[in-house]
Amino acid sequence: MFENVLNFFIKKDKHFVANVVNANKTLKVRRGEKLLTAALENGIKWPHYCRVGSCGTCRCKLLEGKIRPLTDFGYVLGAEQLKEGYILACQSILKSEIKVELNFKQKRIRRTKI
Amino acid sequence: MKKFFINIRYFIVPVLCSVTILGLIVGGPFVWTGAVLFLVGITIDTLVIKFHTKGAGVDENGKSYGIKELQNLVMYFMLPVFIILQVALAWRVYQYTNGADFGLVTLFGWLPVQTGITGLELYGATLSAGAFAGLGIIYGHELSHTKDIGWPISRLMMGLSGAAHFCYAHVYNHHLELAHENDPATSPRGRSLYKHFWLSHMGQSKFSYDLEREKLEKQGKSFFSLDNKWITGYIISLPTIILFVWAGGIVGVACMFFLWTVSNFELEALNYMEHFGLVREKDKPIEHRHSWDNDTAFTSWFFIEIGRQCDHHVRGETHFWELEDVGGPNPGWGYFTGFTLALVPPLWHALIKKKLDHWDNTFANDAEREIATKINKQASYA
Repeated sequence: MFENVLNFFIKKDKHFVANVVNANKTLKVRRGEKLLTAALENGIKWPHYCRVGSCGTCRCKLLEGKIRPLTDFGYVLGAEQLKEGYILACQSILKSEIKVELNFKQKRIRRTKI
Repeated sequence: MKKFFINIRYFIVPVLCSVTILGLIVGGPFVWTGAVLFLVGITIDTLVIKFHTKGAGVDENGKSYGIKELQNLVMYFMLPVFIILQVALAWRVYQYTNGADFGLVTLFGWLPVQTGITGLELYGATLSAGAFAGLGIIYGHELSHTKDIGWPISRLMMGLSGAAHFCYAHVYNHHLELAHENDPATSPRGRSLYKHFWLSHMGQSKFSYDLEREKLEKQGKSFFSLDNKWITGYIISLPTIILFVWAGGIVGVACMFFLWTVSNFELEALNYMEHFGLVREKDKPIEHRHSWDNDTAFTSWFFIEIGRQCDHHVRGETHFWELEDVGGPNPGWGYFTGFTLALVPPLWHALIKKKLDHWDNTFANDAEREIATKINKQASYA
């Protein structure tokens, strides 16, 4: 009974497809799920460190499609990177099918003053 | 039914906070309700010190028993609850400063309310409100990780205690630098809770200030801008300041600062216990061993699994009901017990020193052990 009432309000499962073009990898990302979380669950060795949107290790270039950013990427990414379409996978929810480019060897972005 | 009971055990604070508000409204000796409940919490947590939990758990399909929609709804709902808590205290401040007559009235036809309040009762009311306002941390913290709509709610919750800077400092500093001197929220060995309270609070605010200055410089914007989240964080606290100034002038401001001191002291006490004395080399990955787990049953349920720090800092995006026992360092006590111990620094240091000895010998790698040996000498732990 309790679960039936709750299930009425819970959105039905739906997913979008993300394509990492330079690695020829495709993965399903559930509605509301973060891109990085989905990638790691699918066994993709996506570079990451903090997983909370602070280090920039999981950045990738969005080539096609739409995402919803959960944080202001401007704290981590530079103006040029933002202009080029870089996003943080750990803070991105998919709004459509997407295509991204990822450097699997990239490192964390450092703030200048620390 | 199992799922139901697993979920409602995380509602201890919402229920007790509501009872505290009721105590403030009813008045008389009941204004002490929040403080008494906090003492009861210390007692229960210490009595069940042997009972440890392993999180909300998963069903036969590997899915967490935690119901995201329900838990999020309750966390969002806590914002108006904490606002009502402050308004109830401000009403009592107003009664005190305006010398309201002592008497008994009935509210809604059934609730007996004592009008008027003595100075001692006002102290009890402020202490009670502070004790539970400080527990807003656990929701402010969780929602600062949930992001999305949770982020502004988290900021508003922390802003009620003048600590909206926490959200940025926690995510952009603490989660990158913990167990290292670059993280003001991590207490080094030898430091008392009282010293950490001040240093951690100011250090996090300073970090948030620097973060915004750098961001705005990068964007070519003025520091004095509504895009400055350090400034807007303090603006969020303005309604609370105005409320208490209106309610009681100088007395109101004194009560507000006492309220903020108690709630921020609790916040920093959690930071203190979560990583006390742990060591990590600069730029090395954050591992389970760089946090203390506190997972007694009462702490886990009361603090909505915030004590499962080892997993939280490796999987920072994970909801509290999905956190797991990862076999990390564990002092064996819960937060209420640990908090009480930390209030007496010689006792805290005597006990935590043994736990740190164990950490140095069992969990630390060679480089960390070398750093720890040096720090132990400086802190007179050797």
